[in-house]
Parts: sequence; C-alpha cells; structure tokens
Amino acid sequence: MKSQVTTFIGTEAPPPVTLVIVFLRGGADGLNLVVPHADPAYYAARPGIGIKARDAIDLDGFFGLNPLLRPLHHWWQEGQLAVVHCAGSEDESRSHFDAQDFMEHGGLAAGGWLGRFLRVRPDQSESPLAAVAIGSQLPECLRGAPSCAAIQSLDDFGFGPNLPAGFLANLAALYKVAPRQLAPAGQSAMMALERIDALRSQNPTSSSVTYQTDDFSNGLRQIARLIHGRVGLQAATIDLGGWDSHITSPLIMDPPTQRLANGLNAFAADLGPERLAHTQIVVMTEFGRRVAENSAAGTDHGRGSVMFLLGGGIAGGKVHAAWPDLEHELAGPGDLPVRHNYRDVLAPVLSQIAPGTDLAKVFPTHALSPLTLF
Amino acid sequence: MNEFSRRSLLKVATAGGAVAGIGGFSALSQFLSPLLTGPESDLVGFQAPQRDEIDEFSHVIQRLTFGPRPGLYAKVKTMGTEAFVEQQLAPDSLDDSWTDARSRHFEALHSWPLGELLEYKARELLDQMTRKKILRATHSNLQLKEVMVDFWSDHFNIDPSKGDSKWLKPADDREVIRNHALGSFPALLKASALSPSMLWYLDGRLNRHESPGDKPNENHARELLELHTLGVRGGYTQKDVMEVARCLTGWTVRERSQSRFAVGKVEFRADLHDSGAKTVLGVEIPAGLGAEDLERVINIVSHHPSTARYLAEKLCARFISDAPPESAVLATAETFRTSKGDIRQTLRTLFHTPGFRAARGEKTKRPFHFVVSALRATSARTNAGPALQDYLLRLGHAPFQFPTPDGYPEEAQPWMATLLWRWKFAVDLSSAAISGTSLKIEALRKAAGSEEALAAHLLGRAATADELEAAAQSGLPLALLLASPAFQTF
Repeated sequence: MKSQVTTFIGTEAPPPVTLVIVFLRGGADGLNLVVPHADPAYYAARPGIGIKARDAIDLDGFFGLNPLLRPLHHWWQEGQLAVVHCAGSEDESRSHFDAQDFMEHGGLAAGGWLGRFLRVRPDQSESPLAAVAIGSQLPECLRGAPSCAAIQSLDDFGFGPNLPAGFLANLAALYKVAPRQLAPAGQSAMMALERIDALRSQNPTSSSVTYQTDDFSNGLRQIARLIHGRVGLQAATIDLGGWDSHITSPLIMDPPTQRLANGLNAFAADLGPERLAHTQIVVMTEFGRRVAENSAAGTDHGRGSVMFLLGGGIAGGKVHAAWPDLEHELAGPGDLPVRHNYRDVLAPVLSQIAPGTDLAKVFPTHALSPLTLF
Repeated sequence: MNEFSRRSLLKVATAGGAVAGIGGFSALSQFLSPLLTGPESDLVGFQAPQRDEIDEFSHVIQRLTFGPRPGLYAKVKTMGTEAFVEQQLAPDSLDDSWTDARSRHFEALHSWPLGELLEYKARELLDQMTRKKILRATHSNLQLKEVMVDFWSDHFNIDPSKGDSKWLKPADDREVIRNHALGSFPALLKASALSPSMLWYLDGRLNRHESPGDKPNENHARELLELHTLGVRGGYTQKDVMEVARCLTGWTVRERSQSRFAVGKVEFRADLHDSGAKTVLGVEIPAGLGAEDLERVINIVSHHPSTARYLAEKLCARFISDAPPESAVLATAETFRTSKGDIRQTLRTLFHTPGFRAARGEKTKRPFHFVVSALRATSARTNAGPALQDYLLRLGHAPFQFPTPDGYPEEAQPWMATLLWRWKFAVDLSSAAISGTSLKIEALRKAAGSEEALAAHLLGRAATADELEAAAQSGLPLALLLASPAFQTF
C-alpha cells in the first residue's frame, strides 16, 4: 500500500488516463449537431431549421457536422473523433431534471455512475485531486466519489497568498515522523501541493493554444493544466448549458455550439498528442429533441441525441448509428429514438481507462452490450 | 406553530435563499441566528492534559466523543472515567436541551406523517439532515449516542439519492438510527428492515411473490445477512439468502409515482407474500405465517453467533483499532450474545476490555470526525451550512452520500488521500475563512492560559518539543496543530 501512496504523483509512473465528461445541459439537439444531410425525411420534418446539405460539413456521405462545429472537423479527419447518434437513456420523462438525474445516477441506483466508477475501479487513486468538477456544484454523476472537489479555477486549490511562509515546511517536518500511513500520505499531499503551486506560477498564456474567454473554454483550460501538471487527475466534469431550443432554434443553439467546438478544439490541441493519448473526452446530453420543428422554429423535448468521443485509441472518423426511418420509427410523439444506450457508449471507455473494472457495479440496472469504440 | 405558518415561514426562507443563490435553509438559519450560536460556557474551567502520553481521561474522551470541547477534560477528570462512561451509556441522564432546541429548528425533518416530507425539495432535506448531524455531533452532550448514530448510519447505510428515499431518509434517521442507537440491536434491525427508505434503497418494495415460480428480489436479504448481521464470512449460504428473501416478500411502500396519499407508508400485502414454508439458517419457519415471517427472520439472525462476532468486530474496529485484539472482540461478542443484542451492555463490556484501555492514539480520524473534532476543540460557532459542507464533500465524507450499502469505510487507509483538504480546513478554520463558521482564537488562547496548554488540549497530551517548535515557527500555530499528524489520530 505504501508504494501506492508515494507513486501516484511521481514522475516515473505513467500518469492516469483522465476521463473528461462534458455534459450539455438542456437537451442538445443531436439532429442539428450531426446532420443526416442525405435523409430527405430530415428536411421534410425541418423545413425551416434544418441545416442545409450544402452548409453541413460532410463526414461520411450521409451525416455532416453543423458548420459551427468546423473547428472539430480536423479531429475527425485525423481519426480521433467519433460520433454516436441516436444515443440516450431509457428515461421517457422528457423532463430535464428527471432525465439528467436518471442519466447521472445510471438508472434507479444510488450514487452517481462516475462516483461508483472511481470507487470500484481496481486502481483507486490516492491523489487528493483525483476528481474535479468545474463549477460551483458537484454534478450528480460524481456523487459518492472517494474524493472530489468542485472548483472554478486552480486557485481554489492550495492555501492562498495569506499562508505564512514557514507553515508547510513545519507541517512537513511533523509528517516525516508521523505514525502508520500518515507519513507517506503526508509526503504525497506535499508533492501534490508543490505540483499545483508550480502550475499556478506558470504563465497561463505560455501555451501556444488560444482559448476563448467564455466559462466553458476557461474551465477546459483549468482541466488541461491539471492534466499537464500530472497531479493524478482521474476524472473531470464540466457543463455547457443553453441547449433548450424550444424557439428559434439557431438563435438558441448557435452560441453553445460555437463554444463547444472552440473549447474542445483548443483543449485537445493544448493537451497535445501525448497527453491526449492519455485522455478520454465524452460529450453527452440528457436527451435530444423532437424530429419535427415546432411552430416557433424550435424543437421540443425528445429522446435520442448525439455523443462525441475524442481521445486515446478511439477509432474515430466514424458515426455509430443504427439510423431509423424518420417517418415511421420515431419514439413517442415524434422523437429521434434511442438506439444506443449511453451506458453502452461509456462502458468501453471505462474498460479502456481501467481494465478489470466490474462494470456491473458501475451500471447496476442495465444489461450492458458495449459498443466497439476502440 | 400551526401548519400554515410553518409553511409560510419556509416559503419566505426559501425565497430568501433563492435570492441569495444558496440553499433555502441558510436563509432560515440566518433569520434564526441568535438561536443558533453556540454556548461559550465551556471556555470556563478549561483544563488541559499534562502527561506526555494520552492519559486515561483523554483516552475515553477521544474514543466516546467526537473529541474534547474545552471544558470536558476537567469534567471527566473530576468525575472519573468510570462515571463518564456510565453517563454516556445512559443518554436520559444528561441535559441536552440546548442541542435539542437547536435541532428542532430543522422543521422538515420532523414532518409527520411521512408524506409531509414530500412537500420539501430533496436537496433541502439533505441539507437539513446534514446540518442537524453536524450540529448534534458538535454540540450534543450525549456524545456517545452521536458516535453510535454515525456508526449505525454506516452499518445500515442508505444513500437517499435513489427513488423516494430522497424524501424518506429523514424518517429513517429519526426513527431507526437515532431511536435505537443505544438500544436493542434486534429492535434496530427490525426497524431498519421496515424502514420505507430502506425498502427503496435495497429494493425490498419490489420483492414480491405474485404467482408460483416468481423469483424473489434478493437485494435486501443478501445485505441483511452480509452487512447487517452475520457478515460475509458468517456461514450463511446462497440458499439462506433466497429463503430470507422469500420471508421478506410482500412488504411494500406507497410510492410517490403511484399514490397521492400516505406516501411512504409501509404495508404488508399478503397477496404479494410467499406463504410457503421456509428454512433459514437451519431453522424452520412454517407455512402461512405471513407478516410474522419477518419477525422470525429478525429473531434468527439477531441471535446468531456470527452476528455477535461480526458486530463485535465492527464495534471494536471503531472504538479500539483497525485491527483490534482478539480478546476484546471475544469479550464484546459474548456480551452481545448473552444480552441478546443490548447495545449499551455490549459497549460497556468493550470499554472495560484491556484492549480498549491500551489502544491510545491508535485510530485515525475519518474526515467527518476530524472536522467535528476541530469545531469542538476550538469551541467554534457554525451554521453547518454549504461552506462547511463543502469541505466534507472535498474530503469524500459528506453525511448521507455514500452510494453502496456497506457505508463509509472505518479503517484509515481509504482516507489517506484526504490530508491536503484537512490541512486546508485547518488553515481556513483558523483564519476565519469559512463562511458561517467562526471562532474566537484569543478567547480560546486566554482560557487555555498558554500555548502549551492549548496544544495539549488539542492533541490530548502534552505536545512534543518538535510540535511546539513547529507551531511557533509556522505563523499559524492553531492551524498547524489542527493539521498535524497527532490531531488526525485519536
């Protein structure tokens, strides 16, 4: 056990793979993010707000990216970005709250799926910074994690400028001779602090990558710094809201779509090939929208949407979709059906990150049939 | 207060909270703040231990309570450890009216009938439960009871984030855990098995036998044997799990999604019960007993020798050390068995074992214990609000938030990654940087009389020369001592 305590943060061991969960809150319209531009039924259902075939960035002859996602296109071309269409959960409430709650708990289960994953994975972290949520509150998916912190920025770690200069050195001296496991644990915490301080003192603009100034990009920048700093980060969550496009869909959706594309692109570039290979980014949302536009040029709450995956070993350049007949195979009042349960998308990612994890404990209420993503 | 005015007050409070962008109750507690501040009388009669090692008075204080408040050491030294143990084992003997009065402000938690709980937001209920737990652990004179509440909350762990448990857990805390914390184990076990929150958490509500061939839902039955009574090595078989599950069929709970009335009410439905004969751990339960099956099961498993052994191991792990001596476990188990699960008698035996007396400073505080012991030792005032709760979240030990039925771990190892946040808490507490929590360092220092006495009070023994020097040179002596290795142990 001692070696675990002392090595999580060391320079010799490979850093942990970091899972970054981007949650699009408000029900993102997957159909206008990844557009079935070769499906006439899509245009029949959305004569006003459909993304025109000539505007979409073609991916595979059938699907195309929303043009505002252009910054992500090169990741697709390089084979690192994958899309799962018609993804979602079995929750039929079409309520933001219920659907998010259901998805983040992983069904009718106690605790969040990510919290359970961090507890049951065979290589549980000894790092005090194993899990962070960007924002002011922990998301439900992290509920029950062994240790997790909601932070706005790196400045939330550490002790602030008012800590007397000699404090940590004097504390470290006492921990050197501490009983039982307290000595190595103290040393480990001191190293974590040094790492964070080093990160903080670095000029944040030294990176050649330019992030936008919105909260989402800034949050991703903080996550990238933690990954670069090798502080033992296993999981990070970040939200991007504003997707509830009941009216005038483009006016509602365009700003978060741009933020999503610019933020993710800068983040992946900032990580660089070596770190990105040790990172798994999953973009998800609680539900998609109705296929047909409504009278206010918007769409109402539906079921299936898209998930994006970007990271080490992902077999990208592919849209996973068992595409439905948009006239005859819709769910409920006319929603894109769920053809891939989101847990079957997460499961292979978790197995890749922590082989040997008992996924039945992470997703106890769902018979898994994991998608082939790697 | 009648129903109408109570709800009006809560509405006002919630609106205020919404404006402030924080939980509803924080507005209410600000409104009530004159009532919610702590008594300072414990700074009077402040006396600190003087020996280099933890003495017997410090030891019983550290083990039976969430740590010394300033006046406690002097009291225990005067009355003697024996009398202190007896006092703590007799919770009716102590005046706790100040804490009781304060607890009553958490209106929602007293809702009756249970359906009333559903009028609150689940987040509000979790906030009130958490605040009540922190405040009682910090201020109650019945410290052993609070320690045992913490123990049973883990032993019968429920993460209320599942289904209607969100609303029903306050009733479990009130009527199962707190009601029986120092009572009878069989009664506690029965109350837990019939707790609507538990019926949700472990799927007992779905354990039904409607037609021949229906397979019972084993979830609750398995945990009842594995976690609540015999322990995983307690000698039961898969067949026993299935037989217990059959005995427990038919206990349902009125669900929010199906009923507007009597939500949370637990009812036995004979038509959903498997009425055949069963055999549990070698004991035959004849056909046709109906609801009586549950009583039989509780009786069989409560008095099984493996249960005595398993409970004794867990209690000794909490009160003695992570690897307690066999002699102490045996003695504790024997009293548990002969007293038929009398929790007080069992604890009395444990506290009188040589193993208990010898194990000074051998335990590491879990984060909740660390935070509460720091509040107690410094006589801090707190509203136990979001800022304080945030530290518990970072420390991975927020009350009522452990997802799996085994409860937060008791042993030290899983908590070793939490030191950084403990240090930050120590610094922030000492620097008045936690919103809603404050302490008067000068008053504390003055009452202690010297830096040495203050250090000895915090550590339960005279500080070493190294500790005193480190504190003096740190620039924040109180924070350094709270962050030091010795304050992490008890």
